[in-house]
Amino acid sequence: MTNRRFKDIGFEPLLAYLILTVGFFGLSINLFHKTEFAEYIYLLSSLTLIGKLSETRRTEFLKICFGYTKLKKIRVTENLICSLPFLIFLLYKQLFLSGLLLLVLTTILALLNFRTTINFTIWTPFSKRPFEFTTGFRNTFYVFFAAYALTAIAVSVNNFNLGVFAMLLVFATTLGYYTKPENEYYVWAYNVNGKEFLFSKIKTAIFFSTSLALPIAVAIAIFYPQNIGILSLFFFVGWAFLISVIVSKYSSYPDEMNITQGILLALCIWFPPILVVLIPYLFKKSENRLSNLLK
Amino acid sequence: MIAVRNLSKKYGTNEVLKNINIQFDKGKVYGIVGENGAGKTTLFRCIADLEDYEGEISSNPNPIKNHLGLLLTEPFFFQKITGKEYIQLLCNARDIKISDIDNRNIFDLPLNQYASTYSTGMKKKLALTAILLQSNEYFIFDEPFNGVDIQSNIVITEIIHKLKELDKTVIISSHIFSTLSDTCDEIHLLSNGSFIKSVQKADFSALETEMKQMTIGNKIEKLGLT
Repeated sequence: MTNRRFKDIGFEPLLAYLILTVGFFGLSINLFHKTEFAEYIYLLSSLTLIGKLSETRRTEFLKICFGYTKLKKIRVTENLICSLPFLIFLLYKQLFLSGLLLLVLTTILALLNFRTTINFTIWTPFSKRPFEFTTGFRNTFYVFFAAYALTAIAVSVNNFNLGVFAMLLVFATTLGYYTKPENEYYVWAYNVNGKEFLFSKIKTAIFFSTSLALPIAVAIAIFYPQNIGILSLFFFVGWAFLISVIVSKYSSYPDEMNITQGILLALCIWFPPILVVLIPYLFKKSENRLSNLLK
Repeated sequence: MIAVRNLSKKYGTNEVLKNINIQFDKGKVYGIVGENGAGKTTLFRCIADLEDYEGEISSNPNPIKNHLGLLLTEPFFFQKITGKEYIQLLCNARDIKISDIDNRNIFDLPLNQYASTYSTGMKKKLALTAILLQSNEYFIFDEPFNGVDIQSNIVITEIIHKLKELDKTVIISSHIFSTLSDTCDEIHLLSNGSFIKSVQKADFSALETEMKQMTIGNKIEKLGLT
């Protein structure tokens, strides 16, 4: 299934695995370089990731297919394979105790199963205009708390850059709400044409992202009034990226965003003025793609 | 009114619909029956403009998709969206302002819970409620009674009667013949992508007998049950 997903987004699986391996070790080195708590963050993130395999319905399915005894063997093997990259890196860093702890906890996790999704309804301020921010906020609300906490820290330690980072973190999080194509029914249902549909999506995204990022911008602006210009520029860049991701998504709809679009967006991070050309181009392309569903 | 003229649909070389001609009038309820794979859902998707096709589908008012409430066999729901938000989403899509969703929750659904946690029947009832609140002119119900409890089946039947009274056009597919005979003015039998029989209300019981005969034949005997 993983191979199919890579192929769907236009990646040769072998190349994808190579990039992922390099990326994984690059990020690991970076993490251990950046913070003294890396060992704990590393353990926690690996266990969180591996814990996803213990989802009840998944375990039930395996149990029906393979029976109880084989299930345990499969689950332990799965968990050990998934923990291997983390384990190798911990051994490379000579953190033997953490390595052993990871091994033990991984094995215990294989014998447990639990629901990875919570069923109680998380409140969202975006109920009136579903669905991207409504569902996105429920998945990532803790990031906003972290961003607001970072803003407070930025002000208290007199660090403008950290404040800007907190604001961009909010925008980066909301970009993620627009990366996956929705079921065609939720585009078809609109009684507008492609252009109106895109404008409505962009309007909602700008309004809601602003409501999340503005408190940070205002707080930073109050304490760094001399930097309002650069702060406003970053705010506009945040909007521009949000718009570019929306038009990217619908320019390949109903398929997922492809590798070319990913490269174009990456180029924009390197040189944001490209967005001035890219957004109108992708907007036009999106209009064409949506014309089948929206008349 | 919806007029379907010379409608054909192919997936590759597989012709799923073959030269369909039919008219659906205002204030009437139409039943479409046929075996699995007969082409019912494809026909509905073509009418809804969810598929490309050969032929012509015209309607008044037009375009059909902006006035159509489409209930799919298995409605799709986003994770972490509540029943109320789902209704809001579909009403927003048609620019319908709605403020009293709770009062219009006739199926007593737990609207503040995530729709993805609903049972099959509850999901169907939620999807139905949402399209009813969109103030549509046409309705296509693909298997509306599947997985729904008997009490709600009664409510859905009454809703269909009400829609007829309101001069709406309703097209239903169902594998439960009694639900169609209770609600429809006409039933059309679809087989291998073509309509092979159309009957008016007076002849529904004859059609049911004929379908039973055609479907069952001597299949049960073949099982050799002892």
